[in-house]
Amino acid sequence: MILWLSFAILAALAVAFLIAPILTSRTALAASSRDDGALSIHLDQLAEIEADLGRGVISEAEAAAATGEVKRRMLAIARRSGKTRGAPSRAGRGPLILAAVLVPVAAGGFYGLLGSPETPSLAFADRADEQAQATEIAGLAEKLRIRLEGDDSGGPAEGWGLLGQTYMRMGRVEDAVWAFERGSEQPDANSAIFSRLAEALIRMDSGIVTPAAQKAIEQAMELDPKNPAAVFYNSVALDQAGRGGEGYDLLLAALQSADGFAPWMPSFIDQANRLAERSGRPPVDVASFAPMASGAPGPSAEDVAAAGEMSEEDRSAFIRSMVDRLASRLEEEPGDIDGWLRLANAYTVLAEWTKAASAYERALTLAQELPESDPRRAQAKSGLDRVAAEGK
Amino acid sequence: MTPEIGVFALALALGLALVQSILPMIGAARNNALWMGSAKATAIGQTVFIGLSFAALMRSFVVSDFTVRNVAENSHSLKPMLFKIAGTWGSHEGSLLLWVLILAAFGAGVAVFGRNIPDALKARTLAAQAWISVGFLSFLLLTSNPFERLYPPPIDGNDLNPLLQDVGLAMHPPLLYVGYVGFSIVFSFAIAALIEGRVDAAWARWVRPWTLAAWISLTAGIALGSWWAYYELGWGGWWFWDPVENVSFMPWLLGTALLHSAIVTEKRGAFKSWTILLAILTFSLSLLGTFIVRSGLLTSVHAFAVDPERGVYILALLGLSIGGSLTLYAWRAPEMESGGVFAPVSREAGLLINNLLLGVATATVLFGTLYPLFLEAITGDKISVGPPFFNASFVPIMLPLVFVMGFGPFLSWKRADLRGVLQRLWGLLLLSFAAAAIVWYLTTGGPLLAVLSLAMAFWLFLATLREWAGRIRLFEAPFDESVRRARGLPRASYGMTIAHLGLAVAMFGFIGSSAWKSEQVVFVSPGSSIAIAGFDVRFIGVERQQGPNYLADVGTLVVTRNGDPVTTLFPERRFYPVAESNTTESAIRSTLAGDLYASLAEPAADDAKPGAWTLRILYEPLVNFIWLGSAMLVLGGSLSLSDRRLRIGAPRRSAAAPTIATPAE
Repeated sequence: MILWLSFAILAALAVAFLIAPILTSRTALAASSRDDGALSIHLDQLAEIEADLGRGVISEAEAAAATGEVKRRMLAIARRSGKTRGAPSRAGRGPLILAAVLVPVAAGGFYGLLGSPETPSLAFADRADEQAQATEIAGLAEKLRIRLEGDDSGGPAEGWGLLGQTYMRMGRVEDAVWAFERGSEQPDANSAIFSRLAEALIRMDSGIVTPAAQKAIEQAMELDPKNPAAVFYNSVALDQAGRGGEGYDLLLAALQSADGFAPWMPSFIDQANRLAERSGRPPVDVASFAPMASGAPGPSAEDVAAAGEMSEEDRSAFIRSMVDRLASRLEEEPGDIDGWLRLANAYTVLAEWTKAASAYERALTLAQELPESDPRRAQAKSGLDRVAAEGK
Repeated sequence: MTPEIGVFALALALGLALVQSILPMIGAARNNALWMGSAKATAIGQTVFIGLSFAALMRSFVVSDFTVRNVAENSHSLKPMLFKIAGTWGSHEGSLLLWVLILAAFGAGVAVFGRNIPDALKARTLAAQAWISVGFLSFLLLTSNPFERLYPPPIDGNDLNPLLQDVGLAMHPPLLYVGYVGFSIVFSFAIAALIEGRVDAAWARWVRPWTLAAWISLTAGIALGSWWAYYELGWGGWWFWDPVENVSFMPWLLGTALLHSAIVTEKRGAFKSWTILLAILTFSLSLLGTFIVRSGLLTSVHAFAVDPERGVYILALLGLSIGGSLTLYAWRAPEMESGGVFAPVSREAGLLINNLLLGVATATVLFGTLYPLFLEAITGDKISVGPPFFNASFVPIMLPLVFVMGFGPFLSWKRADLRGVLQRLWGLLLLSFAAAAIVWYLTTGGPLLAVLSLAMAFWLFLATLREWAGRIRLFEAPFDESVRRARGLPRASYGMTIAHLGLAVAMFGFIGSSAWKSEQVVFVSPGSSIAIAGFDVRFIGVERQQGPNYLADVGTLVVTRNGDPVTTLFPERRFYPVAESNTTESAIRSTLAGDLYASLAEPAADDAKPGAWTLRILYEPLVNFIWLGSAMLVLGGSLSLSDRRLRIGAPRRSAAAPTIATPAE
């Protein structure tokens, strides 16, 4: 509403600019002609020559020459002015009134083509609040903070970790640092809370690994040398200390010792490749780690490249052979949840709903043993629901 | 809501510009005062609406409204406020919006301040200005809408380029644009004069303040840009003959020619059609510059061919305005009355040589800038035409220009006494060459071109001073009279003296810092020393420090001369983690005699000696004279602009008004 009102005001302003000449022309002075303008300049020039002569800037002779020149020019104008037309006309309001109608209409048309009146504008400062309100995270975080601070034993480290993560999601990095620090002081502090503290500290300092962050990384590594977040930030720290090569080695070691595909792998690969570029080491890709770790031959880089060049039929045959290989391996190692998820996903792609559903069920059974927050639980659950819906 | 108001205001401005481009022109032809008068209201209205639109875009940048694509792509919530504001004109769309704003503002300026300009001339000028407006407003709305929306908006913006976060860089595009686009109004005056069929002394006087204002801004903009390159880029150079620099330099060269040719039209009624042609060509070069920079042609000819929408539109605009105006010129210019005759040796002839040489110099730069682009388009070969070409071609053209500049002001209008002038000046000429020879001897073996250039710089400096001294009769008349005369000289003549001296001063800087520069790029480890230009520079080491949003490797260099301590320099190399990029912060010991300039390049590779760095160290003699000279050029132009004779509202009071047409000036 306000938007359309503003448009109306702007359009009215444009109309005013077009109508104004009609309203003011009645009181306007006589129009100046070309010759009047030139003559007035020459008169000024004559006066100024006099003034200069008076101040002694030019000599008598110079002044006489200049005066002569100016007078010649004035004569030339006078000779020509016989040709000048009479007084200008003041008629012709029609075109201006027509323009006053057409300009807002045309502008409206143009706006119709280009504008998007339904799109709201959102200032950055307003959006953080909006998001927080929408999810009521702010209120919940506040409640959690009060409960943790009121806890005589200092509150469980896991609670502080949750609070810190909430603050991080809200973009309140400094509060998150505070929450993680409190959590890390608790006796039950684990490796994860230290690595989260390191992450928050690094974000607070625009990506710089400060000594405090360095210390948090070291503590996280001490508690669990395999904590992926700790390993990752350790490589960042090494890079900033000018030891990118060591960071690369660390990442590669973690990738090699991984058991099947893990969600953190792609970011490790990216970081390793960034470091590889700077320290002159060979680049790496996901395919070379995930299947190798589980001991079965996965698609090699050549396999993938070959698949790209195949015809549609060949490609589905190729995928089928890969899937069969995976299925037979899983019969031997039924405890590999990542494998089951991948198999289920492959069957979904091939639209074999019953096989997909049973693979998801196997994964879901295994997932019951995983902690509540593990994304694979949700993944298996939602996959099963989707497949069940598709299969009907 | 704000971005939508911006779009609507732009559309209204386009509507007003369309009316302004037609009605006043017909009004002038039919002698209709109402239609002619409407140009004033529409010119002001256009400026108001484009100004509103610009304000709307600036607000979107200030509050980081990422629902506007332009803001999301070119800003970031963490940018300091100054650079958020500067982001408004940092992008293609925003800079074009600034372009049309300045265009409209110059039109409104003429409408408001040009009370003494005859109605018909004013109406036609404003209509011609509106033609350009229509072209660029439609270009903006149809191909480069600055308010394109993005929903849902990204969490944060995309751009944090630390190299561009520099005050000099943030401020220099607006200045450069005022200069570039300011020449549009001179172009429009020329078109109006061609349609009207009359150019005379009065016309030249009405146009002159606008030419001067544009020229001053362009001078300041170019100087600021080169100053930024010198301090921020860390290469120790102040001019690279880069295409982006060249396209701003060409309008400056021709604009300078225009400024001088308009003097002849104003004072003697001669050079009429030449002045008109220069006005057309100067703005055409501004348009060409906009096209080259804005079409993506520079990044790659092929990129332009792949996404040609914008480039083709601008190319069409370019063809239409340059082709149209030159056709009009070819048709109407022969009908101009020719004015004031002059002898081969006269002030007019001197200014003619100035014009010719400036024209040839512009053509040289144009050739060097466009040739690689054409070559790449035709054969696909990428070549770069760099300083060697320009030094070999541009400098030899400028030297005779400077020579003529020295005695030009001594020549009188119409016919001059060359012998008398030479008698007064041969001493100075000898002195200049002697001075250059002495410098050559002192520095042993400076290149020939540098020595010649230096002689010309001395000559220009001394001759300009001599001219001023002659005018106030220094040492010829009693001292009191000289002081009285010095006070009585019009500001315009001081403007000339200071601007000419400024060029001489800047030349000392150009020559000193390029011909006698010492440069060393060395591999240093803590404790090692470098000897350069009489200084002894000892490298202490590099320390890691933390800045507000970056990490810095700060080097420490202790500088001594003959064992006496001079200064300590701290060059930095910064790393911005968010943007993942490095910048160089040079350390400079700046004196009028020269700059000692140090920058840290790269640390030695991992496994080499620890603490070793590549250090770039330069001594640039006289380099600050460049900016001192530029400042004098700007000051001279401003003095001339402030002189009453150049105002459009010609005064009727005569008391303090200085000379207009003094033949011996």
